[in-house]
Amino acid sequence: MSQLMIADQVPGDELMASGHLACPGCGAPMAMRMVLKALGPKTVVVMPACCWSIIAGPWPQSSLGVPLYHTAFETGAAVASGVKAALEMRGDRQTTVMVWAGDGGTFDIGLQALSGAAERNEDIIYCCYDNEAYMNTGIQRSSATPWGAWTTTTPAAHPESNAKKDILAILAAHRIPYAATASVAYPVDLLEKVRKAKAIRGTRFLHILSPCPPGWKYEDDATVELGRMAVQTRVFPLLEVEDGVTWRFTAEHAGDAVEPYLRRQGRFRHLTADQIEGVQASVDARWAALERRVANGT
Amino acid sequence: MPEAARSRRVPELAISSTSTLVTHTGSWKYMRPEYHDRVAPCNQGCPVGIDIEGYMALLREGRLTDAADLLLRENPMPATTGRVCHHPCESACNRRELDGAVAIHAVERMLGDFALERELAAPPVSPRGTAVAVVGSGPAGLACAYHLARLGHRVTVFEAAAEAGGMLRLGIPEYRLPRVVLDREINRIRAAGVTIHCGVRVGSEDLPWGTLLARFDATFLASGAHVSRPLGVAGETAIGVRAGLDFLKEVNRGGRPSIGDVVVTVGGGNTAIDCARTARRLGARSTILYRRTRAEMPAIAQEIDEAEREGVEFVFLAAPVGFTLDGDRLRAIECTRMQLGPPDESGRRRPVPTDERFTLPADTVLTAIGEAIDPDGLPLAGTGTAIPTDMWGQTARAGVFAGGDLAEQPRSVADALGAGKRAAIGIDRHLRERAGAPLEHREPDALRLGGRGNLSMTRWRDDDPVPRVAPLNEVVTYEDLNPAHFERANRHEDWSLPLEAAVGGFDEVNRGLDRPAGLAEARRCFNCGVCNECELCLIFCPDVAITRRNGHGFLIDLTYCKGCGVCVTECPRGAMLLTREGLS
Amino acid sequence: MKKVMVGNHAVSWGARLARVEVISAYPITPQTQVVEELSEMCADGRLAARFIKVESEHSAMAACIGASAAGARAFTATSSQGLALMHEMLHWATGGRHPVVLANINRALGPGWNIWTDQTDSLSQRDTGWVQLYCETNQEVLDTTVMAFRLAETVDLPVMIVLDAFYLSHTAEPVDIPDQEVVDVFLPTREAHRKLDVNDPHAFGALVRPDSYMEMRWQQQEAMDRTHDVFEAVEREWQRLTGRRYGAIESYRARDADLLLVTSGTITSTARSVIDRRRERGDAVGLVKVKMFRPFPTAALRAALSGVSRVAVLDRNVSVGHAGIFAEELRSALYDLPPDDRPRVQGFVLGLGGRDVTPAVIDRIIDAVREDRPIEREDLWVGVNP
Repeated sequence: MSQLMIADQVPGDELMASGHLACPGCGAPMAMRMVLKALGPKTVVVMPACCWSIIAGPWPQSSLGVPLYHTAFETGAAVASGVKAALEMRGDRQTTVMVWAGDGGTFDIGLQALSGAAERNEDIIYCCYDNEAYMNTGIQRSSATPWGAWTTTTPAAHPESNAKKDILAILAAHRIPYAATASVAYPVDLLEKVRKAKAIRGTRFLHILSPCPPGWKYEDDATVELGRMAVQTRVFPLLEVEDGVTWRFTAEHAGDAVEPYLRRQGRFRHLTADQIEGVQASVDARWAALERRVANGT
Repeated sequence: MPEAARSRRVPELAISSTSTLVTHTGSWKYMRPEYHDRVAPCNQGCPVGIDIEGYMALLREGRLTDAADLLLRENPMPATTGRVCHHPCESACNRRELDGAVAIHAVERMLGDFALERELAAPPVSPRGTAVAVVGSGPAGLACAYHLARLGHRVTVFEAAAEAGGMLRLGIPEYRLPRVVLDREINRIRAAGVTIHCGVRVGSEDLPWGTLLARFDATFLASGAHVSRPLGVAGETAIGVRAGLDFLKEVNRGGRPSIGDVVVTVGGGNTAIDCARTARRLGARSTILYRRTRAEMPAIAQEIDEAEREGVEFVFLAAPVGFTLDGDRLRAIECTRMQLGPPDESGRRRPVPTDERFTLPADTVLTAIGEAIDPDGLPLAGTGTAIPTDMWGQTARAGVFAGGDLAEQPRSVADALGAGKRAAIGIDRHLRERAGAPLEHREPDALRLGGRGNLSMTRWRDDDPVPRVAPLNEVVTYEDLNPAHFERANRHEDWSLPLEAAVGGFDEVNRGLDRPAGLAEARRCFNCGVCNECELCLIFCPDVAITRRNGHGFLIDLTYCKGCGVCVTECPRGAMLLTREGLS
Repeated sequence: MKKVMVGNHAVSWGARLARVEVISAYPITPQTQVVEELSEMCADGRLAARFIKVESEHSAMAACIGASAAGARAFTATSSQGLALMHEMLHWATGGRHPVVLANINRALGPGWNIWTDQTDSLSQRDTGWVQLYCETNQEVLDTTVMAFRLAETVDLPVMIVLDAFYLSHTAEPVDIPDQEVVDVFLPTREAHRKLDVNDPHAFGALVRPDSYMEMRWQQQEAMDRTHDVFEAVEREWQRLTGRRYGAIESYRARDADLLLVTSGTITSTARSVIDRRRERGDAVGLVKVKMFRPFPTAALRAALSGVSRVAVLDRNVSVGHAGIFAEELRSALYDLPPDDRPRVQGFVLGLGGRDVTPAVIDRIIDAVREDRPIEREDLWVGVNP
């Protein structure tokens, strides 16, 4: 097929309502909408503090057509473990329990609970929609913030000095049955991964890159475009890992230069040509390591 | 918040009782997305004025009959043009920028053949009282007659030759356009209500101009250009030197003239190529002599390729300066070597002679450097090379229209078909105005597909079967598209007859694409500027503000749309625009 | 059926009788026996429950909240640092109105490390909105554990059962174990009237604006207010089935007493023996045991203490910078009594970090109160060698 005619591959039922409070052009509701389309109405969402705590709507509203439990920042995986246990005790083995957490609630404060749940192989799907900083509180760096990025706690004079944490490798090291990256720019890939995850028992982890117009400083309309560039530059490769050992790419990655991707975002405006070269080198090195992993199986 | 919910007691914990639909986030926006169908560059590029994008979209849905219907509304002979048109549509195709233009000619041909095979035709229109004469049954005359008949006029075509078709029948070799295809397309034109009288030369005593002009309410002149231009070289009247067009006409009528073993054709257009390839088929060694280089040849590139494949030799940068005769018998053609100088008015580099001379042996030399009209046989004040008309095809004489090779326009089948349609609209408009029943005012610009395109019959008739969403008459450029949503897919190339079989006779060489391949090629079409309901806007909308509309297209719920513009940016085909809120 | 068991196992048995469905816990001395016994019960099939062995107490409470939100009966146990780590989620459990039951084995907080009994851990959670029930004996521990679920699920508040490290947790006593059928009548399977339900989807715990937040907190307060009567009713029914009840407070030999001790936990038993001996000598002392700390039994304490001239509060806890916590709570509860009826409340901070509180210590306290000596400070730290 010469065009991506994806209409037939995306279920029509909507489990997310309009009127939610995401910023214009936000990637996070795009991600939620696709994930819920794949999971269907028999889903319980557990949501630690994140942008979505606001997006979902203040009381007495909910933008979701499935049950939703708002919880404290570091507790997504633990609350979900409890929900799942309760459902099973009451004989419900069909309902999917999904954690919907941001990068802060996953990479940082929620990592302990996530590690615990993953180690116990809890029968939950953990989705991290990653906008690469604490956006809801006003753009503070997290351990998902990429090297060189401006945030309000890493000002341009001293931008983020650490590389983004490799959360996928961390989860893969737990030997959970399924871990994958996905992007709002690749909805069919995302849907396929969620469907695949849904059919597996045990802890399943999805790391979904979700570009953020105000946090990354780009025009509202470019969210999908940046998501695509992140993949095609190999900054955010699309991967899946089965049982922690079988690594696989799930898309073609053109290997476009990172510079246009970085230049498209105000948060990288201060980077010099040398620094951009450095980013390119680190992306290339990580890609080479990933290719070895895919080739070797570990 | 609904009143009921507000008046209710606050519950003991934060448990939801409503969806976020109570929050009208549409009030945030300062930009507004809108659907606007625009014009695909192929459509603008088509001299016939075909809605190419439209039939490609229908083919994507597998609606062959509807696609053929749409095609036949604009082009009376798609099986013919699919074979012989120089397809400027493909030069305009945005897909060239990605992985090669869509093979529009092959899709048109597949669809034209499908229409013939299924005997598809528009239902005949019961004619009104107005009668129109068409002089000449080449593509311009046939197109004009066909469209006029479909507009309800009684049309009579007068053709001097024994059979209808004009240059299509006389000038184009059978291996490019099988006569059975031409015959069937002409029959369909007849079935639309067109009467064709062959063997009648208007202006002769059989039918003097005065009689004709008195009998018909309007006349369309489309008798073509049949006078071969001389080389202007001494000796060209010798035996063995002849006009290429005459040679082709003789062969196309079934003649097999004696041309000797070595033939040189002078010229670089399609007639030259046709001559050279026909000469190969008559067993001769065949050479083309052209004063510029291959890059400047006006002939269809694919035809040049075919000629080369068939063993036609090319001598570029050379022009004839004389002939070597052995008595009255041609022995060789004397040439001068040319070089390319600065560009001329055509934009191509002007050939400039050098001192270098050489000769090529030749039993026959065919001249194919263009044809002129014969103004003497026309009921108009004599002019030089072309009949001047206005944009409707109207000549200086009221009620007399002209088009095709007679008029000032590119000499191509497609331009002739377009001129015929343009004149049909002009005549229809003229006759309606004369009868005091004009169609509502339609400026020519409003009838064009894009700023430069030919006229659209569906726009003139206002019966476009394709739903259009707030259409804008702007052409979509590659920059307007989002190529990320198009997977790379190689162009399907036409299948050709094996070489021995091709050169061995007059069987059709280019066999085009079979139906599955043609349909697959149609799916390569970007559908530039026209929503084909791919749903990317709906899928990517972060606010779930886009829904399918009953029937066709989408609705944007402005109550919730925040105006981010993701839908517009992600629209693969430039069918959406973002406008400033409140300024529309 | 009677069985000799340590306090920790009394907790486990109570949870088992309550047919808890989801247990989530993290080990900490001195709580470990609770979860070890429950693990055995789950493993050998005596208890049909999912035991989620989480990586922290924070997650233990989070998992209980998740299970409770989904409609199950959820239970955890912890001590000291573990309870402190749960603090954030203790608030979440009450705001979410989740009837989770937690057993806290009182243990001192570090540093320095100290594994012995001290009530400061549970009392530090005073404002989280949990019902707190302190226990004196292993029988009371078992009975209270079962009753806690019934209470919690009636008022939609979480309940904390509190018992002393080692003095109860690791001390064996004979405990009467009620028949399961009896408990099943008393405590049927939980039927949550709202829960995470795919057939009736709602969002729980979203942002609440200032115009509504107070109304929700007020309803928590109302539930706490209601808890007094509900607890009494629950105890009355338990008494009907088992013959045992404890009361939110218990007055012991308080009639005609001019001096009353106020105690909680195992100090109460020691104090009872001191009072018994003094009564034999004709000394008009008695005690009031406080079982329920939250909601604070203000009315009952006013009734019990009104007109008594001297009250001595024994606090195995302290709010550093102020006073023993029971003493300060009691003073504020009695403040509105008419001056003539209002006893003089003397607080004694003692036994912190598991230091022994012997009958001699309590005797010295009674003597000191009797002497009516002018005192340097409201609350005396007993036995501190500076």
